[in-house]
Amino acid sequence: MSLTRPQLFECRQLKVGIGGRAILPAIDLAIKSGEFWAVVGRNGAGKTIWLKTLIGLLAPVEGQVASADGVRVSYIPQRSGMDELYPLLAREVVEMGTERGWSFVGWKGGAERRRRVQAALAEVGASELAERPFRRLSEGQKQRVLMARLAVSGAELAILDEPTSAMDKVAEREAFEALRELQQRHQLAVLVVSHYLSLVRRFADHALLLDADTPAVVVGSPDEVFGHEVFRARYGDFAAEAVSA
Amino acid sequence: MPSATVAAAPSTSGNLDFDALLAPSAAPAASSPSAPAAPVAAAPLPVAQEAAPSWQDFAGSSTLYRDPIVCGFVSGAVLGALGVFVVLRRAVFVTAAVSQSAALGVALSFLLGIYWGTAPPPVLGALVLALGCTALLAWRPRSPRLPREALVGLLYVAASGLAVLVGDRITQEAEDVTAILFGTAVLVRPQDLLAVLVVSALVVAAIATLYRGLVFAGFDPEGARVQRLPVGWLELLLWVLVALEVSVTTRAVGALPVFAFSVLPAMAALRATERLPYVVLAAGVLGGLAGGLGYLAAFFLRFPVGASQAACAVVGFLLASGLSQLRTSAAALLASRV
Repeated sequence: MSLTRPQLFECRQLKVGIGGRAILPAIDLAIKSGEFWAVVGRNGAGKTIWLKTLIGLLAPVEGQVASADGVRVSYIPQRSGMDELYPLLAREVVEMGTERGWSFVGWKGGAERRRRVQAALAEVGASELAERPFRRLSEGQKQRVLMARLAVSGAELAILDEPTSAMDKVAEREAFEALRELQQRHQLAVLVVSHYLSLVRRFADHALLLDADTPAVVVGSPDEVFGHEVFRARYGDFAAEAVSA
Repeated sequence: MPSATVAAAPSTSGNLDFDALLAPSAAPAASSPSAPAAPVAAAPLPVAQEAAPSWQDFAGSSTLYRDPIVCGFVSGAVLGALGVFVVLRRAVFVTAAVSQSAALGVALSFLLGIYWGTAPPPVLGALVLALGCTALLAWRPRSPRLPREALVGLLYVAASGLAVLVGDRITQEAEDVTAILFGTAVLVRPQDLLAVLVVSALVVAAIATLYRGLVFAGFDPEGARVQRLPVGWLELLLWVLVALEVSVTTRAVGALPVFAFSVLPAMAALRATERLPYVVLAAGVLGGLAGGLGYLAAFFLRFPVGASQAACAVVGFLLASGLSQLRTSAAALLASRV
């Protein structure tokens, strides 16, 4: 089912789960160009399952996900989703962002791809990392390389699953700032799963709280979500501290 | 080393040993191993044959040994390069299960020939069983109780055991089964060499064409799926390529060296360099050297060919690991001085 732009994705009474069993109530929301969405919730809340259902890696239990025709999506999975046994240079990882469908077949366009990769690395301030092995980079450097992959992909929606896990607070904030710059420069819609609620409050326009235990779903601005009783119940005494830390 | 009269029947797999080939009357028959010739009774080996062969012996029969050396080199090189993708996908023993299945396919072809009178070509038997094994491994049962490695183990043991059992029932071709399982064949039939060359060329072309897709799908499968790469098709194609290459090379050089070529050169190359294109290239070169030099080592040292090729692959891995360790230590030393 297709949508009229600039609406990129829409969840209609979407229920997600595994093995045909829904773990969350139905979700209705629409993601538009240039919006910054954050998905929050405690471990096991169903964030990754919802994300994978949205982008078609898992089938919905009920309801629908509609997307705009030809919408380009780029996905940065959790750290464990990438196999660092592969001996790749940072620029080779960025180059993956240029692939779409069967574009990898053939040898043409190598020079143009390299030019785009260099430009993307320069855009996120990571040109000096181009020839370094990806697996030997620090977590913060890896995220900059993956941001370059996002930039080179020409994506309209960037989806990041806990991009700042394993980072220190400074690197974490720098990653969000880099993401915000990319979002504004490319009119990119961003959907990020994060546990860093203070950064969510600072950078996101919209928040989605998921909780598979209650089960509950809350959609709204970050302030609305962090003021909601479900959030306070789930985060308890840490609620205020988590949001303002 | 046999010193009795040798009945040389190279028409099936060339399962002669070097002593038989070095016997003067055996060489002419063995030089055209494709001919379904009547068995050639080699002359009793002279005492001089007990001495280690020399370069003159080798040069004198170089046309005889050219095909198996080329076959060993090409098999090692292509399996080495293909093996990089197998090792990176953490599926090392998949190749072992597939090569043993291919060996079982060859053995079953011989068995059918004995009991039915007409047999499918052994390479076809190898291909069918190898593809069947690949299909079973590609099918992932949803049960979380057993990992996929358990299915790999089951197929490996089943194929190995059945190949030996089938071999026990093959009276005329019994040595062929040994040759297939352990790669003791000294000669390679022209049609087997041709099959290895054609399939290897196809595999190399396919890897070159699909390279970027295979790497993306292996490194970040979910990211690749979101960018609409055909990740499932790429996985299937990879394992079909493995099954094809393993089928023809198992028939030609045996299951043991095939497994060694698929794993050890890739491991060595991964230790030696941090650039994936160079890893693929280095694994190809190391695999080719193991196949070619392994054959030469078998000739001069009177070892079984397949085991010698596998041993060369092990030596290559140990050398690469040693050099890698040395380089790391030297870099650390330099860094500490700076």
